[in-house]
Amino acid sequence: MAHRLRLPSTLLFLAALLLAACAPAGSGSPTATTLPSASLAPSAPAHSVYPLTLTDDAGREVTIPAAPSRIVSLAPSNTEIVCALDACDALVGVTDFDAYPEEVANVADVVIGGSVDVEKVVAAQPELILAAGNELIPTAVIDQLTNLGFPVLSLYPNSLDDIYADIELVGAAIDAIGVADGLVASMKARADAVATAVSGAARPRTFYEVGVFEGTIYTAGEDSFIASLISIAGGDPITGDPASTAIQLEDLIAADPELILLGDAAYDPSITAATVAARPGWGEMTAVQDGSIVVVLDDVVITRPGPRIVDGLEALAEAIHPDLFP
Amino acid sequence: MRAAATAPTTAQSIRIGPSLTRATVVLGGGAILLLTAMVVAVAIGSVGVGIGDTVAVLGHRLLGLPLARTEVPGAESIIFDVRLPRVLTAMLVGGGLAVAGTVFQALLRNPMADPYIIGTAAGASLGAIAGLMAPLLLPALAIGVGSSWLGLGLVQLLAFTGGLGTVLLVYAVSRANGRVPVVTLLLTGYAVSSVLAAGVALLMFFSGQHLGAIFGWLMGSLAGAKWIHLAFAAPLLIISATLLVVRWRGLNLLLLGDGPAANLGIDVEREKLVLTILATLATSTVVAISGTIGFVGLVVPHVLRLSIGPDHRLLLPASVLYGATLLALADLGARLAGGIPVGILTALIGAPFFVWLLRRSRMVRPVVTP
Repeated sequence: MAHRLRLPSTLLFLAALLLAACAPAGSGSPTATTLPSASLAPSAPAHSVYPLTLTDDAGREVTIPAAPSRIVSLAPSNTEIVCALDACDALVGVTDFDAYPEEVANVADVVIGGSVDVEKVVAAQPELILAAGNELIPTAVIDQLTNLGFPVLSLYPNSLDDIYADIELVGAAIDAIGVADGLVASMKARADAVATAVSGAARPRTFYEVGVFEGTIYTAGEDSFIASLISIAGGDPITGDPASTAIQLEDLIAADPELILLGDAAYDPSITAATVAARPGWGEMTAVQDGSIVVVLDDVVITRPGPRIVDGLEALAEAIHPDLFP
Repeated sequence: MRAAATAPTTAQSIRIGPSLTRATVVLGGGAILLLTAMVVAVAIGSVGVGIGDTVAVLGHRLLGLPLARTEVPGAESIIFDVRLPRVLTAMLVGGGLAVAGTVFQALLRNPMADPYIIGTAAGASLGAIAGLMAPLLLPALAIGVGSSWLGLGLVQLLAFTGGLGTVLLVYAVSRANGRVPVVTLLLTGYAVSSVLAAGVALLMFFSGQHLGAIFGWLMGSLAGAKWIHLAFAAPLLIISATLLVVRWRGLNLLLLGDGPAANLGIDVEREKLVLTILATLATSTVVAISGTIGFVGLVVPHVLRLSIGPDHRLLLPASVLYGATLLALADLGARLAGGIPVGILTALIGAPFFVWLLRRSRMVRPVVTP
């Protein structure tokens, strides 16, 4: 759970979309430096040229000596990206939290209870390690693995567009540029369809509840990819602190959500529209008075920045605009 | 070493020295235990590397022997780059904390004293957390400076200077008329620590995604052990521990109180200052590479005192050996328990053992006056 709580910031989606529109996929991302641009040669699928130097989401330059046939993924989202790029067979280490796709259940766990077992990573002899940024995988661990001689790419997307860029980045790293281009294109088509469907509709002020722990309310962080998803799905996201993703109750009351989405209800059946309405102070909000409180059971695909993120986007759009998605 | 049952000979020797055989058993046994713990801790881990491969890798890297293909892929890296630096770090940290704890308990004549008591922990924590968060505030630091300075990161450097600087400050503030009364030192240390702890809490409040890293550091962990840190810490720890071990006579006398110690012919204030600086140097070095690992520095001295008596001539070297052994084994347990911070394990298992030992001894001699 804690994994999903720290979701910081950068671009608003629309700004990112404009940027993306100006540059061909693959080379438009600031994260991919030396990969050949797929769009220059659409007829012949592009291949990565090794040794390949890429810049990851933490700004680190990472050199991959040869096309990696052994990959360790330190986050479920990375695992999903690798498998979506048809490289599931190359995974030699994943987290104990990985449950999708099903075939990764047989891959050795090298992240157990949220902490990386460095010995097991070394024993897996990876030719590429995919980590997660923003201290989800501690910087000290990333440094240690780098010092042991492994190429470590750290992924940390702040918007839907960053997620596309990360998929392209992994595609370049594992010589699957063509598959990555196809995947991103289909994701973009679905996202565009959502954006088109909600264009012109009213944009309710939307509060997405990631969780409430000991009175602290966690939501989408300011400029996080979750906020960008809500925005594309036709809502006006109410956001929390960019680093901690927490929001004070009085700030939430002042922001006056017109729609409350309960992502945490997917894990805790005691969280319902009725119990939320009964929380002290929450009765002030327009959403509570109007009864606009919706349980969202797709939290995993909404908060996991992988290829299924468009499933999350569609689920959000249906929750925000049920009338537009019969 | 002077032989066994001779009567007290000099005025300084207020106790009969440990008998040669007793010292041999305690220290020789300790050394054997330490070496055994080292081999075991290097040979065992979450990845099974056979003892043959372990020995082969160590022989190859340390003695230059040829290395045949190992059975486990990556065994060489696992043994030499992951486990060995970690085990050696655990030993240095355990030995350093135990000897520093022994010194502070005697120096302050306080059974609750541990190596951190007069400000090292609070100062080092504030430094380390500032180091953890600085790259967030000043991105240039993350790239330019983070990896320099004798191979130490900003965190290690600020923790070391923070711990050392805080104790020097506390000592200077406690000084009045050329003397540093023990009670003043303790209370000043407490007050300064409280201020710094408030700073720690404030930084934690604003730390966002770094909270996990900060929390892990405060609990103490050896997960980040690497050779480059050892190159910094090992010389400092070996020197400070050696200089402490040879000052056993002064510590024995200080247990009597400042006045009697002065009457018996030592320069009490100078002795206290030297001991404080050496013990703080050891503690700050340890904290810089491992965070604030609790319990070892408090309890190992007590356990040893209950077992082998209060004479620092034997107590100081024994605390190095047994502290090192204890932490190497505790860290092995922590690794096998899924990488939990070692401080949790030492307290969880060590504290009940300590209570049992206290009850069994039927006599509480926290800091013994001869």
